[in-house]
Amino acid sequence: MKVLVTVKRVVDYNVKVRAKADGSDVDLNNVKMAINPFCEIAVEEAVRLKEAGTATEVVVVSVGAKQCQEQIRTALALGADRGIHVETEGAVEPLVVAKLLKGVVEKEEPRLVILGKQSIDGDNNQTGQMLGALTNMPQGTFASEVAIDGDKVNVTREVDAGMQTISLNLPAIVTSDLRLNEPRYASLPNIMKAKKKPLDVFSPADLGVEVTSHITQLSVAPPAERQAGIIVESVEQLVDKLKNEAKVIS
Amino acid sequence: MNFTFSEDQLLFQDSVRDFLVNEVTPEKIRASWEKDDGRDPLLWQQIVEMGLPGITVPEEFGGLGMSELDFVLLAQECGYVALPEPLVHNALVAVPMLKELGGELAAQWLPKIAAGEAKVAVGLEQNILVEDAHTAELLLIQKGDDIFALTPQQVTLRHNESIDPSRKLYAVEFEDSVPPLASGAQAAALINTALNRGALACAAQALGLAQRMIDMTVLYTTDRHQFGKPIGSFQAVKHHMANIAVRLEYAKAPVHRAAYAIANGQASASRNVSHAKIVACEAAKLAAKNTIQAHGAMGYTWEVDLHIFMKKAWALANTWGDEGFHKTRVSDYILAEDAILGAGSTF
Repeated sequence: MKVLVTVKRVVDYNVKVRAKADGSDVDLNNVKMAINPFCEIAVEEAVRLKEAGTATEVVVVSVGAKQCQEQIRTALALGADRGIHVETEGAVEPLVVAKLLKGVVEKEEPRLVILGKQSIDGDNNQTGQMLGALTNMPQGTFASEVAIDGDKVNVTREVDAGMQTISLNLPAIVTSDLRLNEPRYASLPNIMKAKKKPLDVFSPADLGVEVTSHITQLSVAPPAERQAGIIVESVEQLVDKLKNEAKVIS
Repeated sequence: MNFTFSEDQLLFQDSVRDFLVNEVTPEKIRASWEKDDGRDPLLWQQIVEMGLPGITVPEEFGGLGMSELDFVLLAQECGYVALPEPLVHNALVAVPMLKELGGELAAQWLPKIAAGEAKVAVGLEQNILVEDAHTAELLLIQKGDDIFALTPQQVTLRHNESIDPSRKLYAVEFEDSVPPLASGAQAAALINTALNRGALACAAQALGLAQRMIDMTVLYTTDRHQFGKPIGSFQAVKHHMANIAVRLEYAKAPVHRAAYAIANGQASASRNVSHAKIVACEAAKLAAKNTIQAHGAMGYTWEVDLHIFMKKAWALANTWGDEGFHKTRVSDYILAEDAILGAGSTF
C-alpha cells in the first residue's frame, strides 16, 4: 500500500512571530523554519505503517518555494522513501494546495493520504477536507488513531462530544490530530541517507493547475498587549465594573 | 578560502539542538542528581538512537566517520543543555584515542561505542580524577609515561564530589602487575593528543554554556520589572550582558580553529587548543559572574536553574589543563626565540 503524506514549511513552533513594521505580513527574516507539527505527526504515522508492514512506500509531498525541500529532506530522514516538491511562488491558499495535491494523487495513486489537520501559520484547517472533496475520496479528519483493516481504514476522531470511530473505504484521506502519535527525532545517519533519496520537482503546470488567488491579505497585527489588572476593594465594586465598564453582565 | 561550516554540519547542529533542548531539561538534570550513578539510561538510549555516540567512529566500525570539526558544533549544543552524559568526551577523546591505538582493541571497542553498547573513559594525570569512570566498560588510564587499558574488574574506584553535581568523578586505582598498553614516545603522543582533544571538548561546551546563561538571563531580565520597566532595559544590566556576548563571539573562532587544526593534524594544534580553552572558558566564567549579578545574586541558589550551567562552566575551566597550564603553552610558543609571529602564523 502506497501512502502519500504532506508536509508544510512553517515558522518553527518555538519562535515568537512578529509582524512586519508595515503590517503587510509576518516577518520571516532570519526566522527558523520547520515542518508544521501536525504534518510531522502525519509523517510519523505513515512511517509507522511502513514499519508495521502495512505500507510499502511512503511518499512525502510539499507545496511551496524551493526552500520547502529542506522540510521534504527532514521527512525523508524521518523515514519516508521519496519526495515530491511542487514548486510555487509566493503564498498559496488552501484551495490551490488542494488542487495541486489532487494532481499528485492522480499521478501517484496512493491508497492512503495523510495530512496534518491544519498548519500552525494559517490555521485554516481546510486542505484535507478540500482534497477529499476534489478527489471524491472519503475523509477521516482529526485522527487520534488510524488502523488499516483490509480494504478499509478505521479512524478514531477527536470530536467535541468525545471520540468517534469511523470506517472509510480505501483509498481515503486522513488528517492527523495532536494525539495520533509522538514523532521521533531524525537520527544523524538517517539525515545523511536522506540526501540520497529521490526528490522530484513539479510545477503547477505539470499538474495542470493554474495558481490563482482568491484571498487578499489586508494586514497582519500582533495581538493586543494585555492590560495590567487592578485589585478591587469590594464585591460591589467588582460587579459595578463588570456591569458598567466591561459590560459583560447586565 | 571558505571559513564557514557546511550546510550538513549546520543541519546536524540544528537537529541535535532540537533533540537536546527538548530532552535534556533542567528538571531532568535535577532528577539525575537524585540517582546513585547520576545517569539516565533512557536519555542515553535516545542519544544512541540519534546516532550520536558513533559520529567520530570510522565507517568500517559502524560509525559515521566524521571529524573533530564536524563534532565541535554538537559539543557546543551539549554544553548549551549541560548534558550530564559522557557523550562529548567519548566522541572527542576516547574514540580518537582508540583509532590511534588501532589493532584488536579498536576492532573490539569501536563497534560497541558506535552501537551505544559501551562507554570508554580516558584518564590523564593532568586531571587526577576520571569523569564517568563508573559507567565505563573500558578505561584508558595514564600512569607516568604509560597508558593502560583496564576493565572495570581491574580497577578500584573512589568517588569524589564535584562542584557540578552532574559530574561523577573517580580516583582510579589498579594493580602494578597490569602490563601497559602503550609506553614511551607512542604513549607521549597519545597523551598529548588526548589532552588537546579533551581541552577542545571543554572549550566547545563552554561556548554553549555561556550562550545558555545569556539566553536565560535575557529572558529573566525581560520579565523582571523594577521602577516600572524590565530590568534588562537598564544600562548597567545591558552592559553586563553585552560584555559576555562580545567575549563569547570572539571565543568562537579560536574554538573552531582548534577543531580544524586537530581534524587536519596541524602542528599548531596544541597552541590553537590552548588559545581556544583560555578564551572559551573566560567567556563562560564571565557569563557565570555577570548573569548571577543580573539575577540579583539568587542565580547562585539551588532553586534557580542558572547554577546548573555556571557550575559546569567553573568545573570545565579547571579540567584538561587549567588556565595557567594553557597560558604557559601559549607563552612558551610566542616567547620562543624562533617564534614566527603575526597574522597567519601566531594563531
